[in-house]
Amino acid sequence: MAQVWLALTLGGTVAAFAAALVALLASADWEWRSSFPVGGEPLHLRLDGLSAMFLALLSLVGGLGAIYAQEYWPEKIHGKSASRGRIWWIAMILSMGLVLLSSNGMHFLIAWELFAVSGYFLVTLDGSRKGVREAGWVYLAASHFGTLCLFAFFATLAGRTGSWELGPMREQANLAPLFWLALMGFSVKAGLFPVHVWLPSAHACAPSHVSALFSGVAIKMGVYGLIRFSGWLPVPPIAGWVLVGIGSVSALFGIAFAFAQDDLKRLLAYCSVENVGIITIGIGGALLAVGHGQAKWGALLMAGALLHVWNHGLFKTLLFFGAGSVLHSTGTKEMSRLGGLWRGMPWTAALFTLAAVAICGLPPLNGFVSEWLLYLGLFGSATVRDSCSWASMPAVVVLAVAGALSLATFVKAGSVVFLGAPRTKAAEDPHESGMLMCGPMVALAGCCLLIGSAPVLLWPILARAVCSWNPDWAAIEAPVSLSTLSITAAAVAALFVAAIILLWRKVNANGVRRALTWDCGYSTPTPRMQYTGGSFSAIIVRSLAWLFLPERDQHRPHGAFPVGASRIERVPEIVLERVVKPSSRLVIRLAAKARQLQHGRLQFYIMYLVGGLTILAILVFVEETK
Amino acid sequence: MKSLIETVFRLVVWLFVAPLLPGIVNRVKSWIAGRKGPPLLQLYFDLARLWKKGVVLSTFASPGFVAGPAVAWVAMVCAALLVPLGPAGSTINFNGDVILLVYLLAAARFCTVWAALETGSSFEGMGSAREVSYAVLTEAALITAVLSLSVQTGSVALNGMLSQSSGPGAALLAAGLFSVLLAENCRVPFDDPNTHLELTMIHEAMVLDHSGPPLAVILHGASVKLLLFSVLLSEAVLPLGGMSPLAAAGALAGAVAVVTIGVGLVESLLARFAFRRVPLLLTTAFLLCLFALLLAWKGGTQ
Repeated sequence: MAQVWLALTLGGTVAAFAAALVALLASADWEWRSSFPVGGEPLHLRLDGLSAMFLALLSLVGGLGAIYAQEYWPEKIHGKSASRGRIWWIAMILSMGLVLLSSNGMHFLIAWELFAVSGYFLVTLDGSRKGVREAGWVYLAASHFGTLCLFAFFATLAGRTGSWELGPMREQANLAPLFWLALMGFSVKAGLFPVHVWLPSAHACAPSHVSALFSGVAIKMGVYGLIRFSGWLPVPPIAGWVLVGIGSVSALFGIAFAFAQDDLKRLLAYCSVENVGIITIGIGGALLAVGHGQAKWGALLMAGALLHVWNHGLFKTLLFFGAGSVLHSTGTKEMSRLGGLWRGMPWTAALFTLAAVAICGLPPLNGFVSEWLLYLGLFGSATVRDSCSWASMPAVVVLAVAGALSLATFVKAGSVVFLGAPRTKAAEDPHESGMLMCGPMVALAGCCLLIGSAPVLLWPILARAVCSWNPDWAAIEAPVSLSTLSITAAAVAALFVAAIILLWRKVNANGVRRALTWDCGYSTPTPRMQYTGGSFSAIIVRSLAWLFLPERDQHRPHGAFPVGASRIERVPEIVLERVVKPSSRLVIRLAAKARQLQHGRLQFYIMYLVGGLTILAILVFVEETK
Repeated sequence: MKSLIETVFRLVVWLFVAPLLPGIVNRVKSWIAGRKGPPLLQLYFDLARLWKKGVVLSTFASPGFVAGPAVAWVAMVCAALLVPLGPAGSTINFNGDVILLVYLLAAARFCTVWAALETGSSFEGMGSAREVSYAVLTEAALITAVLSLSVQTGSVALNGMLSQSSGPGAALLAAGLFSVLLAENCRVPFDDPNTHLELTMIHEAMVLDHSGPPLAVILHGASVKLLLFSVLLSEAVLPLGGMSPLAAAGALAGAVAVVTIGVGLVESLLARFAFRRVPLLLTTAFLLCLFALLLAWKGGTQ
C-alpha cells in the first residue's frame, strides 16, 4: 500500500514539477477554464511564471518528503498514524497546488482552508503527546485568524469588482486599501513577526518531514499570497515601507530567538521567521521601486526575494531532514543532550553542515546568491539617493546583522549536535539513516551546490517570474555581474576542495598522532566540561534579556557536601506567552461573564424578549418620525 | 595568459608581504617597551618551521578540523584578491564584488569557529562564542562603512568605491574602520594576541589545539587578513585614483605601514578592555561609520 502511495505521489509531483518547468521556460501562461461549477463558480486555473516558481518548489519538496517519510514514519513503528499521514500529505500537497493554480477568489479560499486543515492533521500525527496537541491547536487557531482576514479580503474584492475572478487589476485604484487585509491574512501563514506565534511549536512538534514541508513550502504560500496580490492589485503607497519594516523586524527577531533555542527543530523554526523576513524585505523594496519607477534595482530585489524562496525551501528542507535523521537515531532533539554525532552519522553531519553554510548565505552556495541579489538591489537604491534610500540603507544593515547572527546560530546548531564528545547516553551510539532518508538529502544538497555555483543559468526563470509580477519589467536583462559572480563562485568552490585535499595530504605526509584534546593541559576532560549551546549563546542572550525574558530554574549547591545543583534556562515564545495567552484569557473571562446571562430561568428570558422588542420598536419609531 | 601571470604575481605579493605586518607590529611594540624583540621576519621562520612539523589531532576531531583552516585560508586569500591594489586595480572587478568580499570573510570565520569546536574543549568554546557574538557588531560597522563608500561614490564595485575620495566623512570612516580592523584581527584593546591566559582570549583560544601545517595556514591567514584590512582602510581614506600610478603605489604602501605602526602603538599604549566593554567600543565604531554614511548621503557625488 505504502509503495503504491509513494509511486502515485512521485508520479504526481514529477508531473507537477515538469509542468512548472515548462511554464517557467515558455513565454506564455497556461490557462484552463471549465464551465463546471464548484461552489457556484466556474473553474478557472492559471499557471504563470510566479505560481510556477512556487509549484516547482512544492513538487520537489513534496516528492522528496514522501520518499523520506517511508523510512522516517513507517507503519511498523507508528501504526495507523503512518497511513493517516500519507492521506493528509497528499491532501496538503494537492490543496497547496490548487492555491497556486486557482484564479478565482472562491476556489482560492476553499483550497486555502483545505490546506490549513490538512496541515493541522499532519502536525498532530503524533497526537498522543500533549505538547503536539497544543501546538496543533495554536496552529489551527492562528490559521483561522488568517483565513478570516482572507475571507474579508476576497469578499470585499468580489464585492467591489462584481466577480470572484482574479487577475491583474492594477488600474482600479479603489482596491488599494484591501492590501492591508491581504497582508494580515497572508503574514500569519508566512510566519512574519509578531504573528508567527504558531510557527515554532508547530514546526518543533510535527514529524520532521512535515516540518520540512511546512517550513520549506507551506509558509511560502503566505509569501506567494503577498507577492501575487501585490502584483495583481494596486497597493497603497506606504505598503513598501511597511513590508520593509515588518521584514526587518522579522529577520532580526527571528534569528535572535533562533540563536537562543536549545531544541534543534525550534531553532530551525525561528530561523524560518528570519528568512521569510528577508524575503519580505525584498518584496517591500520591489514595491517601493514600482512606486518610484526604478525598474533596475526593483527587479533585482524581486528576483532576489523569489530566488530566496527557492533557496530557503531547499536548505531548510535539508536541515529539517537532517534534524529528523538525528531525532530518528538518538530519540532527542534537545541539543544539550547531543554531541559528537559525526562519527556515527557522517552523511547526516556532512549534509547538515552544507545546509548550514548555505543558510548563513556564505559563498559559494545558493544562499549567497539570493542575498547578493538583495544586497545589490538595496545598494542600488541607496546610491540613487531618493527617499527610498531611507528604507534600503537600514535594510542593508539589518541583512548584515541577521547574517552574522545566523552564522552564530548555525555554528552553534551544527557544532553542538555533531562535534565534540557525546553529552549523554542517547548520543553515544548513533546510527546513520538509510538510503530513503539520505537520498533526498543528497538531492537537496546537490540543488544547493548547483544554484550556488551557476546562478546565471537561473536568471531567465527569475526574469520570467519577475515579469509575471510586474509586466512593466519585461525587458529586464541579467545583471552583467551575475555571470562574473557565477564564474568566481565556481572557482572559489573548486579552490576550497583543492585546498582541503592538499592540506589533508600534507598533514598525513608530516605524520599524524591522535591524542586527547589538549585544552591547556587537562588530563581527563569529560564531555560535561564541553561548552553547551546555552553557554555558546550566553553573551547575546544576556545582552538581549530585555527581549527574551528568559525563564530560569536554578538550584544552587548548598552545604559542605552539595548534591544536585542545576540551572535550566529557557527562552519562551514571548509573543505567545506574554501577549496572546494573557489576552485570550481575558476574552475567556469576558465570555464566562457573558454566560451568566444564560441561566435557564424562563421569566428572565421573557424579560430579554420584551426588552429587545421594546428597543426595536423605539428604533422603528425614531426612523419613522425622521 | 597575461591576466593569469598578473593574477599569480598579485597572489605572490599578497602571500609574501602579509607575514611582514605582524613583524612590524612586534618591532614597534618592542621598540616602545625598550626590548630587543623578535626579528622582523619572525613569522616567516615560524611558518616554515610549522609547515614541516607533524600534527597532533584531538581524538574527537573530524576531518573538518583540518578542512576548516584550509577553507578559511582560501576564503581569505580570495577576498584579498578582490581588493584592488592601488593603481593596479583588482583581479576581478564586478558590481557587488564588495558583498562577496564581506561574505568570504564571514565564510572564513565560519570555518575557523567550526574547526575550533571540533575539539569539544571549553576554552575553544569560549573563544568561538566571543568571536561570533562580537562579529554581529563588527559586521554592522563594516557593512555601514561599505555602504557609506558606496553612497559617496555611487558605485557598488570595489574598484570604483576605493579609487575616489571618501569625502567629508573620511576621518569618521577611518576611525570606524580602524576599530573594525582591530576587532576583526583580534588586536588590543579587543583581544590580546600575546596573552597566555586562555580565559581572556578570542582568536588564540580558538586555535589552541591546532598544530603543524594547519596552524601555519591559520597564522598565515590571519596575517593576510590584517594586510587586507590595512589596504581597505588606506584605500577608503586616500583618493588614490587621482594620483599618478607611482605616487599611488607609494601612498598605498606608506599608508599600510602607518596603519600597521598604529596597531603597534595602540597595542603598546593601551591595555585590553574588559569583555563587557567590548560591545560598547564596537557600537562606537558602528556609530562612527553611521555618521560617515550620513555625511556621504548629504554630500557625495551625484
